[in-house]
Amino acid sequence: MASRLPLSGVKVLDFMWVLAGPGITRSMADYGAAVVRIESVERVDPTRTVGPFKDNNTNSEYSALFGNNSAGKLGLSLDLTKPEARAIVLDLVRWADVVCEAFSPKAMRAWGFDYESLRAIKPDIIMLSTCLMGQTGPLARFAGFGNLAAALCGFYNLVGWPDRSPSGPFSAYTDYIAPRFGLVAVMAALIHRKRTGQGQYIDQAQAESALQFLTLPILDAVASGRKYSPVGNDDLEHAPHGIYPAAGDDRWVAIACRTEDQWRALYLAMDRPQLADDPRFKTFTGRHEHREELDRVIGEWTRARTPLETERILQARGVPAHTVQNTFDANDDPQLRHNGHFVRVDHAVAGETFVENSRFRLSRTPAQVKRASPALGQDNQYVLEQLLGYNDDRISDLVAHGALG
Amino acid sequence: MLSGCRVLDLTTERGLMCGQILGDLGADVIKIEPPGGSSARSLKPFFADQPGLERSVCWWAYNRNKRGVTLNLETDEGRDLIRRLAARADFIIESENPGALARGGIGYGDLSAINPALVYVSITPFGQDGPKADYADSDLIMMAASGALILYGDEDRPPIRMSVPQAYLHACADAAGAALIAYYDRLDTGLGQQVDVAAQESLGLAAQSTLLAATLGADETRRMAGGVKLGPLRVPLVWEAKDGLVSCVFLFGSALGIFTRKLISYIYERGFCDQATRDKDWIAYADMLLTGREPIEEYERVKGVVANFLRSMTKAESFDLARQHGFLIAPLATTDDLLANPQFIAREYWQTSDERELGLKLTYPGPFARFSATPIEFKRRPPRIGEHNREIYVGELGLSEREFGDLARRGII
Repeated sequence: MASRLPLSGVKVLDFMWVLAGPGITRSMADYGAAVVRIESVERVDPTRTVGPFKDNNTNSEYSALFGNNSAGKLGLSLDLTKPEARAIVLDLVRWADVVCEAFSPKAMRAWGFDYESLRAIKPDIIMLSTCLMGQTGPLARFAGFGNLAAALCGFYNLVGWPDRSPSGPFSAYTDYIAPRFGLVAVMAALIHRKRTGQGQYIDQAQAESALQFLTLPILDAVASGRKYSPVGNDDLEHAPHGIYPAAGDDRWVAIACRTEDQWRALYLAMDRPQLADDPRFKTFTGRHEHREELDRVIGEWTRARTPLETERILQARGVPAHTVQNTFDANDDPQLRHNGHFVRVDHAVAGETFVENSRFRLSRTPAQVKRASPALGQDNQYVLEQLLGYNDDRISDLVAHGALG
Repeated sequence: MLSGCRVLDLTTERGLMCGQILGDLGADVIKIEPPGGSSARSLKPFFADQPGLERSVCWWAYNRNKRGVTLNLETDEGRDLIRRLAARADFIIESENPGALARGGIGYGDLSAINPALVYVSITPFGQDGPKADYADSDLIMMAASGALILYGDEDRPPIRMSVPQAYLHACADAAGAALIAYYDRLDTGLGQQVDVAAQESLGLAAQSTLLAATLGADETRRMAGGVKLGPLRVPLVWEAKDGLVSCVFLFGSALGIFTRKLISYIYERGFCDQATRDKDWIAYADMLLTGREPIEEYERVKGVVANFLRSMTKAESFDLARQHGFLIAPLATTDDLLANPQFIAREYWQTSDERELGLKLTYPGPFARFSATPIEFKRRPPRIGEHNREIYVGELGLSEREFGDLARRGII
């Protein structure tokens, strides 16, 4: 476990919180960066109050959402309203290569931690600010969660049934896109610094990152004047294409046929060769046009077996099919197990718990999840003593001033 | 930031966006297509619904900041040219089924033997090996396999995906980040490696850690139209306004309850609820509901109060209020709303590209992040089929005009 990782030696001062930010620094910790996560006791990270909670215990140390996003980090609790706490931050800036923050735009400036101030202390510092709408512009101060950015970007109007108002994507969609681009941005800046010695400031508007995923409909809407609205599970390139009922409570299986071969394999697997002669289903266009009738026929077949049975029958014949996995399926999924997707870690308060592994594998330098997420203030002593070299008197003094609260 | 880095982009339609991200960062990205053009060029929708290899919106969407060449990888000479290009490349990105390129002698093992510093990025449905590595896939299949899809849609109907494919975009963005971590390592060690990105695992992030619920003995999160079901609680995220729909967060606990307290106080001032409703313990409210100290019917009544309040205003009015008071409310935008949003206009986000041959200007989303020292630039529109063949094969790889003409005649390029 002592092998060198790509980001060994990279030091990150982490003011991330909520959902879109902390995943970036979690990935950096997986690949060897030393990450010091700053938290407030007074204004606790909202993800500590959101599940899933281990054993349904809603204590803030039991949140797997927080744990998953902050595994591998050191935890330092600070009361930034205290000047003594702000002085610690400035020492950590001197220690750090990268400062990341996810507050609304005014917060870092109010504490004197804006990029210009930090650069005066550490000229080659890299600073990433990530917030919903970006640091400038009329909506810069519109703060909130990823569901709001997803609404403003138009993602809500792309999930739903044509005969109903939109269902919207699950929860906070832009928070599942922004961390990926945030990691790209920090890594690009680190590479630039290694090559030139120059640091810089990165302004990530989570909405602007997320809109990369809507490039296609935006181009199409402007160029061709097409109006996008939700189409259930329809697809332009696949028919049949849908989520079909399976045996059991809320059990479903996904099936998608793109080629004639896949279609043939499907009706043969269903033992319905007569579908080949049905004039409605002879061509792709026909199958697409008559998809409701086709879906009924397929649904009658899938309903009689478990989703896993259907998945195996169809995949064995080259037909794209998969169980619509819930958390229990994922936990048992042989592929996720093969890839080591779930990693056991020991949390200081919650005890044995699990996090998801790195989302990608590097063949020579695989990720290492070295520890669970920190309990609030777990590493105060270590950070102040070992990383900053403070002596006991000074640390006691900080405690007495309430700087670590 | 990546100036001087060369990327060979061998990807199929699954992997196109990864190279575009590296191109945005200044890398020299060469998109390599089969002589008849990438399969992505045949995907709908087409501009003005007229099919054509240079009219696929999907192609336009994910190939800016790349140059383009054609090369037939089914031939020995084609694969030999890839080896010659790879000898001088920093990154290769590919998205074939596992083992497909290795069978042609251009897998990671083959190319790293020629160029040990190569960062070789493979984007696949389920990863390079394992029991499902050879599974057939699609966007919907990957959404289903990831654990995210079950959370989407209406509870009385099957789950639904987003109406525009998303699965491989998540994988591509991860692939770019992973490639840069590997490249950063290479700057120290001089050694490349293979980066294995599985869409299934990338998409786990979109399930917001709910994949961990089973193993931790936590309640399962269930889907609900315009919101989520958490145990017995039906938590709406979509609400009606006078003229459409808004998203609004109405949640509890030590962090989120503060927003709710602020919103309810305002609702009280506007006369939509009584004092007792205003003064509920919004911090402890979820616990009160889960332990039965507060009946679920009362939660439903309070949601009705919020619904009445939101329904009394237009989308714009409630968004203005949200901005003034820090409420968690935003309108559900259409594409037209998005393009008119003053924020993106003020930040000069939208980029246009003049497509003279088609007689139109395209509008693209702009940079995914703003770099103070090395801003992202949109330097190139997506390449046409074989647009840079001569420039690259003759000008840079050093083929003679005769060799070049011969390869073209024989359909290798």
